[in-house]
Amino acid sequence: MLTRRQMLKAGLAGGGYALLGGGYVLLGPGRSRRVFADQLPSSPPTTPFLEELPIAPIAQPVARFATRPDPTNCVNVDGTTAIHVSGPRVVPTNAQFFLIHERQALHSFHPRLPPSSVWGYNGMVPGPTFLGRSGTPVLVRFVNDLPTNDPVGIGEPISAVHRHGGFQAPEDDGYPLDTFCTGQSRDYFYPQTPAPNVFGLPNPEQNEESTMWYHDHAIDITGPNVYRGLAGFFLNFDEVDSFLGEEDPNPRALRLPGRMRGQVREFDIPIVIQDKLFDQDGRLVFDTFDHNGFLGDKFVLNGKIQPFLRVKRRKYRFRFLNGSNARFYQLFLRNGGPFDFVIAADDHLFPRPLLNQKSIILGPAERAEVVIDFSRFPSNTEVILENRLEQDDGRKPDSLVSTGTPLLKFIVNGDVADPSRVPDTLRPILIGPAQILPFVTVKRTFDFERSDGAWQINGEFFDENRINAKPKVNTAEIWTIKSGGGWTHPVHIHLSSFFVLSRNGSSPLPLERARKDTIDVGAFFTQEVKILAMFPRYTGSYVFHCHNIEHEDMRMMAQFENQP
Amino acid sequence: MTPPRTALALALIIALGAAGCSERPAAPPQRPPAARAAPAPPDPVATIRDRHLPNIELVTHEGRRVHFYDDLVRGKVVAINFMFATCRVACPLATEHLVEVQKSLGDRAGRDVTLLSISLDPERDTPEVLRGYAEAHGVGPGWYFLTGKRDDIEMLRRKLGAYELDPVIDADPKQHTGIVILGNEPAGRWKAISVLSKPVRIRQAIERTILPATQWPTGEAVVKESPREETEVGKELVQPGDLADLPVRD
Repeated sequence: MLTRRQMLKAGLAGGGYALLGGGYVLLGPGRSRRVFADQLPSSPPTTPFLEELPIAPIAQPVARFATRPDPTNCVNVDGTTAIHVSGPRVVPTNAQFFLIHERQALHSFHPRLPPSSVWGYNGMVPGPTFLGRSGTPVLVRFVNDLPTNDPVGIGEPISAVHRHGGFQAPEDDGYPLDTFCTGQSRDYFYPQTPAPNVFGLPNPEQNEESTMWYHDHAIDITGPNVYRGLAGFFLNFDEVDSFLGEEDPNPRALRLPGRMRGQVREFDIPIVIQDKLFDQDGRLVFDTFDHNGFLGDKFVLNGKIQPFLRVKRRKYRFRFLNGSNARFYQLFLRNGGPFDFVIAADDHLFPRPLLNQKSIILGPAERAEVVIDFSRFPSNTEVILENRLEQDDGRKPDSLVSTGTPLLKFIVNGDVADPSRVPDTLRPILIGPAQILPFVTVKRTFDFERSDGAWQINGEFFDENRINAKPKVNTAEIWTIKSGGGWTHPVHIHLSSFFVLSRNGSSPLPLERARKDTIDVGAFFTQEVKILAMFPRYTGSYVFHCHNIEHEDMRMMAQFENQP
Repeated sequence: MTPPRTALALALIIALGAAGCSERPAAPPQRPPAARAAPAPPDPVATIRDRHLPNIELVTHEGRRVHFYDDLVRGKVVAINFMFATCRVACPLATEHLVEVQKSLGDRAGRDVTLLSISLDPERDTPEVLRGYAEAHGVGPGWYFLTGKRDDIEMLRRKLGAYELDPVIDADPKQHTGIVILGNEPAGRWKAISVLSKPVRIRQAIERTILPATQWPTGEAVVKESPREETEVGKELVQPGDLADLPVRD
C-alpha cells in the first residue's frame, strides 16, 4: 500500500488522478526526510470533474427578534459567564436579522464516495453566504444544535463564531472562550460600517470590507470543528463595490462582474478551497494527534472534490478562500494563461488591479479575488485551475511543481452580454502608511517560534488572562512579526486589517498592496514581516494567532487589549 | 479487536436515534432510494486505538508489568508526557507543572484522570530509578512513570504525535517535545497542550477532556483563576531611524 505521504506528494506529481488500477500510482523520486511512520490511510481514488461546483445559497434574513443576553458559557458553575458579555441589545431599526443553526448533516463530497457526517451552518458545507451591505447592520443568532453524542469523533459540540476580517466589537468577535454549547445560542452583531481611520484621520470609506468568512473559533478544538465543516462566506457590498454589480447605474459604482437574479448572485462566485482525507470506506478522516497541521489528499471546492464549472465567454469575479487547516496553495490556470486581473486580497479591494498575474499564493485563511475573462477562449475550451505548490507536512509549503493538482475545471461554452468592467482605479488608499506612520510612536516585535514540541509567541503560550499588548484605541503601531526554524505561520490579527510595510526590509509581495488580515511569515516567504497594525474604535481584548489551526489550538495565540 | 460492548452500545444509540427515541419499538425506518447509503458511522475509539494506541509492554516505577492500551489507557482519561530522569532541560519544570496539576486535581487524580510519564531513556531509567524520581518529586497516586523497550517507546512516541518533524531536533533527547497528550479514551477525544503551559491551564484542559462539552470550563471564572498578567513583551518606542528604511509602496 502507498503511504499517506506518498499519496500527498503523488496527488501533485500525478496531476491528482494518475491512479492506476488498485489504487497505485507512479511516483516520482521522493525525498527521504520522512521521520515518522505513516498512520493514516490515503483516500480512495476519485474521478475528477464529475459534479458541478456548488454555490452556497444566500443567507436569508428573518423577522426581527428580541436579542437575549449572552449565554453563561456552558458550564454549570455559579458565576461563570463569557469573557465578553452583552445583554439584550439595542439593535438599530434598519438591521437585518438572521438565524443560523449549527447542525450535523450528511454531505456528499464526491458521487463515488458515500455521504460523510459533517457539521455545517444550517447543515451546509460551506455554510450559507451572507451578502452584507455597508450601512445595514446585521444581527446573527447562531444556534448550537450540534449533537452531544456524535459518533464520528471529529470536533466538539461547543462553538464560538468569528467573522474573519470583520470589524466588530469584542463581544461579537468570537473570542475563543466566549463559547456556547448544544442547546444554546449566541447573538453576534455586525455594525457593517467601515473601520474609522486611526489618529482621527478622515476617509473611512476606503476601509470597506470585501470578502470575509465566518468560522468556528472555540478554544482547543477550532481545527476539527472547521475541518468538520463550520465555515462560510460573508461578503460585503458598498456604494462602490456594489450589490447591483455590473448593472448598477450609479456612476460611482465600479461595475465589477456580478449581478443578482432572484436569490442567485451570478458571475461573482465565492470558492472555498479545502483539503480533506477519507478512509477506504469513504468517510471523512481527521487526525487529532497531528499537531503540526493536518493535511488531506483530496481537494474540496465549495464542498465537492475537484468539481467543474460551466462558464460563458465573459468576465467572472472569483473570490478564492483558502479554508484549509494547514495547507498553502499556489493557484495557476492550466491552458489558460495568467489571471487577467487580481482585484483584492483578504477583505480589501486593491487601489488598482494587478494585471496578468501568473499565479496566486494563498496561505490558510487568506483570500484573493480575481477576474477571469473567458471571452479569451473559444467555446468548448477547458481551463483547469490547479495548485502547483507541494506540501507534505504542516511545517511549510515546499516547492513548486511544473504540473499541479487540478482543483476545478472551467468549461467555456456560449456567449452572453458582459456589461461588467474592471476599472483602472478600484479603491484608492487615501490614508495609507505615508499618512499614518508620522503619528506612530510604538513598535512591537512578535516572534512566532517552535519550542519544546509546541508553538509560542514571544516565548509564551496563549493564556486567557494575559494581555500581551495594550495599544491605545484609535492608534496604529509598527509590528514586526518573525518566524524562524523552518516553519511558516499564517498570522491573523483580529479587529482590523493592517498594511504590510516590508518583508525582510524589502517590498511586500504583489498581493500585499492593500490591507490584509492574515500574513504568511517564515520559511518559503520571509522570516520577518513589518506591518502597520491598527486598533480602531473598540476598547477591549482581541486575539491574534497562527491560522495553521492546529498551531492555534496548541495555543500559538496572544491577545491585545485596546486601551481607552 | 473491537470491544463488542462499545460496538453494541453504539449500535444501540444509533438504533434509538433512528427510532426517534420512541419508547415503543418502531417500524424499521424506510430507506430512501439513495444511490449510496452512508456507511456505518466509524468507531473513533477503535480507529484511534488501532492507529495510535499500541498495546506495548511497559514497567511501572512500582515494578508492575503493564500493557499500554489494556492496562493504562483503555476506558480512562489520561495525560501522557515523555521524560527521562537525567533530563536537565525542560523536564524538571515539566514534572513540577504536572505535580502541581496533580495536587490541584485532588482526589480526581487517579480516579478521573491517570497521569503517565514515559521514559525516553529506558535503559538507564529502570523502575528503581523512576521510583526514586517519583518520590523525589512528591508524586502522588494515579501517576505512573514507565519504562520499557526503546523501540516500543519510540513507536509509541511517534504514534502519539510527540515527535519533531526536523530529524536533527527529533534525534536530540534534550529537545524532546514537551507536550502533554490528553485523551478521553472511551469518548475518542484527544488533544495536546504544552506541558510548559501554566499548571492551571493544563488542569483546565484536562477538565475539558474529562467533561462533556456542555460542562467545559471556559468562562470568566476559569480565566480569572490565575492572576491577570500584562506582559507587554516586545514593546518599544519608535526611533526616528525606524521609518527611514521602509520601502516605498505602490
